[in-house]
Amino acid sequence: MAARDIVAAVFCCIGTFFFIIGTTGLIRMPDLFTRLHPSTKCDTLGACSVILGMAVHNGWSWDLLKLVFIMCFLLLSSATCGHAIGRSALRRNIPYWKKKEETEDGHGA
Amino acid sequence: MTSGRAFGSKLLLFFLLLVFWVVLTASLALHELVMGAVCAAFVVTLTVALLGRALDPRITPGVLLRLPVFMVRLVWEIIKANLNVAGIILHPRLPVDPRIVEYRTYLPGDLPRTVFSDSITLTPGTVTVELKGDVLNVHCLCPYHEDGLPGLERLVAWLFGVKPPGEVKGDG
Repeated sequence: MAARDIVAAVFCCIGTFFFIIGTTGLIRMPDLFTRLHPSTKCDTLGACSVILGMAVHNGWSWDLLKLVFIMCFLLLSSATCGHAIGRSALRRNIPYWKKKEETEDGHGA
Repeated sequence: MTSGRAFGSKLLLFFLLLVFWVVLTASLALHELVMGAVCAAFVVTLTVALLGRALDPRITPGVLLRLPVFMVRLVWEIIKANLNVAGIILHPRLPVDPRIVEYRTYLPGDLPRTVFSDSITLTPGTVTVELKGDVLNVHCLCPYHEDGLPGLERLVAWLFGVKPPGEVKGDG
């Protein structure tokens, strides 16, 4: 089935695109908290998109349901993981990056 | 009354585990189903013995029926917000203005609050970094990301059948 392969390839390309964006964000963002955003979300959407592409490629079978389960667990674990990192950073009082003007306004000293 | 509900919750967990088993074994053969039923019953017994209950009482068949719709709506939110964050990341000047805001939720109980904070974390631009009682500390990438929170809260409230409080409290 050529059409199915094309749709699968498109989904995988979208997923790869979001992976690239997530990695770019990881490098560009200024601190830990802001880095959590691209790493927990763009990567999740990218992985989900790749899984969706595999599901389309695979067609109707039991493996499709397994892929759906993998997607659900991925969403759950990624959110929990991001939360855990952010929380431990907050508890250790790691300061979070703010825009420069605001730092000067808010904390003069 | 309570024992009936506890039994229903056990039965629900049993069927969830059985469905999971069937998907993993990828077969509807009788011996697989019997084995799955035995394992599911064993896990339910262990869960009740260890945790004192099978499932959170807020998980009802109604919630499970609404879950797929909730997931679809959540995924739609995730996609929309992801495109927004992708735009921010690819923007040459990286226009981020992060801040940690406190958000007081009206959702009762641990489970709806957990689902809410997980949904917040999955929605780009916002990460729940702390959850104490009914106050969530949410790290927002840009100030306007905070505006999406009440909508998500309404979605989670709908999932668990929680009525939002009156408008007097709502706009606080």
